[in-house]
Amino acid sequence: MMKFIRTLLKPFAAFFEAHAKTHYRLERHSMGLTVGIIIAAGVGGFIEIAPLFTIDDTVEAAPDMRLYTPLEQAGRDIYIREGCYACHSQMIRTLRDEVERYGPYSLAVESQYDHPMLWGSKRTGPDLARLGEKYSDDWHVRHLVNPRDLVPESVMPQYAFLLEAGLDTDSLPDRLAALRAVGVPYTDEMIANADSDALGQAMPDTERSDGVFERYGDETAVRNFDDRPGRLTEMDALVAYLQILGQLTDLPEQTQILPEE
Amino acid sequence: MDIPHEWFVGFSKSFGLFYLIALSVGITAYAFWPSLGNRFDKAAKSILDDEDGPARGDDGSDPEDEPCR
Amino acid sequence: MMSNLTRAERANAMVIAGTGAFIGLVMAAAGRGDPMGAHGWIVLAFCGALFFVVGSAYEDPEPTQDRTASYYDDPTKVGILIALFWAVVGMGMGVWVASQLAWPDLRFDAAWSSFGRIRPVHTSGVIFGFGGNALIATSFHIMQRTCRARMPDQVTPWFVLLGFNLFCIVASSGYLMGVTQSKEYAEPEWYADLWLVVVWVVYFVLYIRTLARRNEPHIYVANWYYLAFILVVAVLHIVNNLAVPASLTGAKSYSAFAGVQDAMTQWWYGHNAVAFFLTSGFLGMLYYFLPKRAERPIYSYRLSILSFWGITFFYIWAGSHHLHYTALPHWVQTLGMTFSVMLLVPSWASAGNALMTLNGAWHKVRDDATLRFMMVAAVFYGLSTFEGSFMAIRPVNGLSHYTDWTVGHVHAGAMGWVALISFGSIYALAPVLWRRETIYSWKAVEWHFWLALAGTVIYVFAMWNSGITQGLMWRTYTESGTLAYSFTDTLVAMHPYYVARTFGGLLFLIGACIGAWNVVMTIRRMPSETPERDYPTSSESREPALPAAE
Repeated sequence: MMKFIRTLLKPFAAFFEAHAKTHYRLERHSMGLTVGIIIAAGVGGFIEIAPLFTIDDTVEAAPDMRLYTPLEQAGRDIYIREGCYACHSQMIRTLRDEVERYGPYSLAVESQYDHPMLWGSKRTGPDLARLGEKYSDDWHVRHLVNPRDLVPESVMPQYAFLLEAGLDTDSLPDRLAALRAVGVPYTDEMIANADSDALGQAMPDTERSDGVFERYGDETAVRNFDDRPGRLTEMDALVAYLQILGQLTDLPEQTQILPEE
Repeated sequence: MDIPHEWFVGFSKSFGLFYLIALSVGITAYAFWPSLGNRFDKAAKSILDDEDGPARGDDGSDPEDEPCR
Repeated sequence: MMSNLTRAERANAMVIAGTGAFIGLVMAAAGRGDPMGAHGWIVLAFCGALFFVVGSAYEDPEPTQDRTASYYDDPTKVGILIALFWAVVGMGMGVWVASQLAWPDLRFDAAWSSFGRIRPVHTSGVIFGFGGNALIATSFHIMQRTCRARMPDQVTPWFVLLGFNLFCIVASSGYLMGVTQSKEYAEPEWYADLWLVVVWVVYFVLYIRTLARRNEPHIYVANWYYLAFILVVAVLHIVNNLAVPASLTGAKSYSAFAGVQDAMTQWWYGHNAVAFFLTSGFLGMLYYFLPKRAERPIYSYRLSILSFWGITFFYIWAGSHHLHYTALPHWVQTLGMTFSVMLLVPSWASAGNALMTLNGAWHKVRDDATLRFMMVAAVFYGLSTFEGSFMAIRPVNGLSHYTDWTVGHVHAGAMGWVALISFGSIYALAPVLWRRETIYSWKAVEWHFWLALAGTVIYVFAMWNSGITQGLMWRTYTESGTLAYSFTDTLVAMHPYYVARTFGGLLFLIGACIGAWNVVMTIRRMPSETPERDYPTSSESREPALPAAE
């Protein structure tokens, strides 16, 4: 047996012997080590990640999947800015108790336009993947102003300053254009009218709001979210975003099979 | 760039396995190769006494050890 | 410090600082009305200050002795002090965020002080500020010693160290202004990321250049770990941060990846930041300082090679265990789980190797708190890698994920392993670097050790309890088959644990403050040692070399 192994290893012996004699020529050129590390560490990531980019072939298509309106996207940016993702997940796992507590488990397609995704890693507060239209706009505004007015045990920070902060709509066309550059199918028209649409979504029954319906569909929630007419605030945007969570497509309700135990 | 997803997944699963085995065998052989033992021992001891400044070269050491720039 | 630089080097440094200040000015002008403008002013102030510090010493006399006869330790010294500064800041922020969860009104009412904005200041402060500076400083020290060669030049190490700290300052001030990509442990926006790439490439080149000058035939294994840390972090950082800025005059950018691909990329980054930032580099520290302090060579050098490649190869697959039961394809979850479990082998090989090195030197561990820091770090490394492999198993993860158990696990690793090995290394390094007889107060080291250990244990136990309690409450059903507890019920149950964890973190912070004070006092108060062999000599002959003629 040993003899067999020895014969088998003989061709390699030359390599290692030479290696030992020449003061580790391979390592001496530290680039050898560098290349070794890159190969050892690189392949794993590639093998796991690369197939995910062809996953669109197999993932459920959701024909009714809609885009975030400019106001909702602005709200999403505020959600990111305030670090809400540090305490709230947006990913309902395929576990029975999660489905019963939060709703149908999350599908990959639901976050296909989420740059970046906000699945989260910690639930200091509850999951928000299906938060949309669960509570009224007024509840959200009051809850954000002081969470402990509505939920005395809450440890969530207050966000009253969002009511005072006017929303910066000037940058919205640029933001939508950047999102298109990374793959969200916004049209030229959507990008050109982004700031006007953001205003329009919080001003029901105006010409501007007609444009929102035209570009983003009749299902779009056009309301004065923070109930303060005349001024578009960051609160409007954040509440608009919270109300769209889980509302982008009906697919999860339709396709849900029994979750794992 | 029209590779089907199934092919990609299949490749990942099979290639990953062979790669793992090849790498493990190679590294184990390297680490336990008998003739490398002395080098390893010397390296392990080399750090215990190293506060005496950079080596200067003209100390009669093996010319192979000259810093390679 | 400036007296170790030639006039040409001072001029180079001024050109670099001046360029940086100009870039800051451009950012400030272009980003008016955007947080990027504020960052411009910060960059301008940082680089401007450096410009004047170097400039005011420009006319000072040049170094007269032969510099190649000694190692270049000035950047290491400054790096150690900066690391201690960040330790106090980052851990202080940690205690504050922790207390906000116990007493939410401690948030006060400013926009910048909410949990979501200061949490990344804590995480980046301790990981990059404290950990990163400790890694850079010790790597400068170790690469020169193990290569028996001085660094190739004097300006590059300063560029790496100070450039990295500029990144840290831009990052943490950005979080307070709401500048974040939301990618965990990679929050800074695009211009900070670009800057880090520049710094990191220079760091890598510096490392390779030093290795190329070495006078030892074999590259000591600690360098392998540092090299893996530098290289893989570069790859991770670049891929994970690919993004398109909304505008070149604003901070906001959008990730190139979306949804499930983004999730996998982020956790591929996130878990390997743990692997290559928080493990690989610190193992390099362990493999150098522990044998040295114990005055015994590492138990098995071969085992250290095996575990090096094991860690480098296995870790990279493990990220997907953060995404069990999510919309990520099942086979990727399984792959992540399998490799996470296999990872236990090289991890325990490393921890065992460290502990076996101490075999025969346990009396030193008993008497020497510095060595005890390193020993306990190795124990915590073993514990938290076991816990990590365990938590990566899908059903266990079903319980632990989204709860404080994860937070407890991370802190067992971060406080018990990363911070303790860093503090141990700093205590071992400070007298050597500043050529002091000994550390200022051994009693203070003992105090630090026990405070840190107690703080870690309290913190981790509190988080285990709260995490498992909450995970179980979420999935408890009544007899009639409905969920037994509302989310708020589980939150109320967390309160005592949140108080306990704040207390544990506070103990750890006090320990870090004592450590920083002790090192500063060592520098200021301890008599300098007349070094036994502080003359240029080769390792073999022990004879003074002739001073080179200037």
